[in-house]
Amino acid sequence: MKDKILTGYKIVLGVMMLVSLVVSVIGVRGPLVSALWMADGLLILAGFIALVMSKSLLPYLIKRLGESVVTLLLIVTMVFVLLRMMPGGPFDSERALPPEVMANLAAKYKLDAPMHEQYFSYLKGVLQGDLGASFKYVGRPVTEIIGDTFPASLQLGVYALILSYLIGIPLGVMAASRHNTWWDSGAMLFAMSGVALPSFLVAALLILIFSFQMGVLPPALWEGPIYYILPVITLGVRPAAIIARLTRSSVLDVIRSDFVRTAYAKGLAQRVVLFKHVLRNSLIPVLTYSGPLIADIISGAFIIEVIFAVPGMGRHLIMSVTNRDYPLVLGVALLFSVLLVISNLVVDLLYAIIDPRIKLA
Amino acid sequence: MSRSIILAFAAIISFAACTKTDQTLKFGVKKSETVVVNLQTEPPSLDWHKAVDTTSHEVTMNIMDGLAEFDYSDPNLKAIPALATKWESDKAAKKWTFELRQGVKWSDGVEFEAQHVVDAWERLLNPKTAAEYAYFLFGIKNAQAYNEGKIKNFAEVGIKADGKNKVVVDLHTPMSFFPSLLVHHSTHPMRIDVVAKHGDAWTKPGNLVSLGAYKLKDWAHDEAILLERNDDYYGEKAKVKFVLGRMITEQSSAVNAFDAREIDLIPELPSNDIAVLKNRDEYLSKPNLALFYYGFNTKQAPFDDVNFRKAVVQAVDKTEIVKILNKGDIAASSWIPEGMLGHDGNVGLKFDATAAKASLAKSKYADITKVPRITITYNTNENHKKVAENVQAQLKKNLGINIEILNEEWKVYLAKLKTKQGYSIFRMGWVADYPDPDNFLNLLTSYSANNHTNWKNTEFDKLIAQGVGEFDVQKRQEIYVKAQKLLLEEEAAVLPVYYQSRQNLVNPRVKGFAMNVLDHKVYRKMSIE
Repeated sequence: MKDKILTGYKIVLGVMMLVSLVVSVIGVRGPLVSALWMADGLLILAGFIALVMSKSLLPYLIKRLGESVVTLLLIVTMVFVLLRMMPGGPFDSERALPPEVMANLAAKYKLDAPMHEQYFSYLKGVLQGDLGASFKYVGRPVTEIIGDTFPASLQLGVYALILSYLIGIPLGVMAASRHNTWWDSGAMLFAMSGVALPSFLVAALLILIFSFQMGVLPPALWEGPIYYILPVITLGVRPAAIIARLTRSSVLDVIRSDFVRTAYAKGLAQRVVLFKHVLRNSLIPVLTYSGPLIADIISGAFIIEVIFAVPGMGRHLIMSVTNRDYPLVLGVALLFSVLLVISNLVVDLLYAIIDPRIKLA
Repeated sequence: MSRSIILAFAAIISFAACTKTDQTLKFGVKKSETVVVNLQTEPPSLDWHKAVDTTSHEVTMNIMDGLAEFDYSDPNLKAIPALATKWESDKAAKKWTFELRQGVKWSDGVEFEAQHVVDAWERLLNPKTAAEYAYFLFGIKNAQAYNEGKIKNFAEVGIKADGKNKVVVDLHTPMSFFPSLLVHHSTHPMRIDVVAKHGDAWTKPGNLVSLGAYKLKDWAHDEAILLERNDDYYGEKAKVKFVLGRMITEQSSAVNAFDAREIDLIPELPSNDIAVLKNRDEYLSKPNLALFYYGFNTKQAPFDDVNFRKAVVQAVDKTEIVKILNKGDIAASSWIPEGMLGHDGNVGLKFDATAAKASLAKSKYADITKVPRITITYNTNENHKKVAENVQAQLKKNLGINIEILNEEWKVYLAKLKTKQGYSIFRMGWVADYPDPDNFLNLLTSYSANNHTNWKNTEFDKLIAQGVGEFDVQKRQEIYVKAQKLLLEEEAAVLPVYYQSRQNLVNPRVKGFAMNVLDHKVYRKMSIE
């Protein structure tokens, strides 16, 4: 019965993810697509909770969540204090404003209140889901700015993440299975180049080749599938290269194990041995890397978003600091912190789920 | 395996390419009836009372009109009637009467009337609005006191609606250029009933009502904004149905998008590429009413010595700087840029290495070993760095003085500039808010918050006050030349370096786009071939 539920869950999730992906890739927009992705998210969350419960990981999860709240509070406090310590205010400009106009601005944005009052008022707002209004984008709530820009960043990040696994894992397996051959050297040359080349250079090369030499892909904007290709490849190349290297070394370790030799001795085909027995046991290091990988993709995406004019959050993270737009800096920092904390927590929990020998307490 | 990967990749590209329709752009508009411009960033606000940046200004000036507009064909950019049909003032230039155009309708069909002007100015001056440009109206009687909250009753401010079609303004100080201020977006009329109904969301598509040649049609934040021709516009109708504003921040990416024919018009070209781009047919460049200058801290040694300041000014060959930048800027001499009343190319100390040495010999620092440490400070920018390095080299070559250069992040730079200590030499720029010499010279009055030189001169202040009340163009010219001679030749408080030019790339399919000295982009003049 339990196996049947699990199989049913996997099929439903797989189909829904596929539908969401196809619908998004062909450029459909609107509430239906958002609802599809939200349903996927909820399904994953439900599955994850069920898994956590079945593995008796709930106490660990609660403990980690408690720690995460403390971490997030520390981050918000540090960013809040550092922002106010930075020289220059949000309304400083080339044209110095008369003192009375500055006083009006300070009063409107409550910057004339004592620092501790501003801090507690901000925390109170956060607890109520209100991240304040941007100073720069007059009257726009930070939550609205995040809501408008985060989907594009998420889309770019998820596509790049999928691409990096799709390229990195098979490449690593291929390099390891053909160890010390030209295939191996070629794959590792790609991996070394992918790690070594900065993303802005990869972007420039791709634009030069595909946009201006071949004329098949647009060099900027985010209007539909054809526009996604270059930024996704640029963002996905580096993690794909790292995953390929990790997979290769891990597969090489496992491939020499006794159980693999036994599998070959039993007459199993190489493909079956590699993908059914070796790969499953080689994925722990790749999984370990997944936490930092999400961070890598999030931070790397800022540059890619600017180069390819992707309407994501990247430019806000940079420009909000330059503009001293305190609520926006705090909002974006908080969002990325939450993402990183959650991704690391999920990876830690996955260890225990994938490898029963790992005990979390 | 590799073959299948290549095939799959080719299939994805082919599939993706098929999904792109050549003529349909963002928001489903047809390329044949749309001009695509790069706005560079998301407009921070379309509330024209609160907008302070050039992107918001570009959009608001095309969806909204003021009582006056500039005649861009006039070399002095004379203010001409727009929503007002005519205006007149008393001899003292203190009482102004504006007669408004009749039968003009807002985009929601409501008729435009004088009360909309009064309401708008009340909102601009209201402390609760916290509008940065409120000071534009501080020349009006009691306007500043109302903004400071010292007066609560707006009826005491010198703004009145006289019937439905007349606005009367009382100034506390003479202002011969007052109509020019009414071209600026911050002073445009507004429907406060719409603002009250929607709050901050009044600027959203569907809520925003305006009177300009275009209407706000759609807005995908951080991505694109769509303006549609206002077919009920009272003036010359726009020729192109839609203007699609893109928000590509990175200048090189914008050039790439231009080359891929995704965009028709891009401003702000990458400085390192201008040498190549300027050879293209699509390239347009025009000097603007914008000045790049260095200020001296006249209370700090060695710039407390007027002869030392003169020596520095005379030792810098600005034509060399303009050549290095290579983007069509003009070496400055006069404080007021070319193309504006008050400009005189003969005003200001000229480059003369011999005279510079003579001035240095007359100063307290004839012995250059006694010159205290000098640092040129600028906000981080590639071009500012090039200029600072060149000035550093020229001062070494022509005066034998060693100076240091230092860059600071913009807000840090501004914060320190406003402190008492300041910088010994600082870079700054000024772009005209309105094309009147007062906008430039007022900067260096003893009471200006933008005067970071610590130079205060009562005679200069008097000349500026005299200039603003003078209607006679010839007399005004003489007053401003006199003021500049005092500022630049006798006192050498600042070093005007160059008048900045602006560049654009314009797709040849777009006709009628003409650059002007204020870099205002008037969409309604554009057409598509």
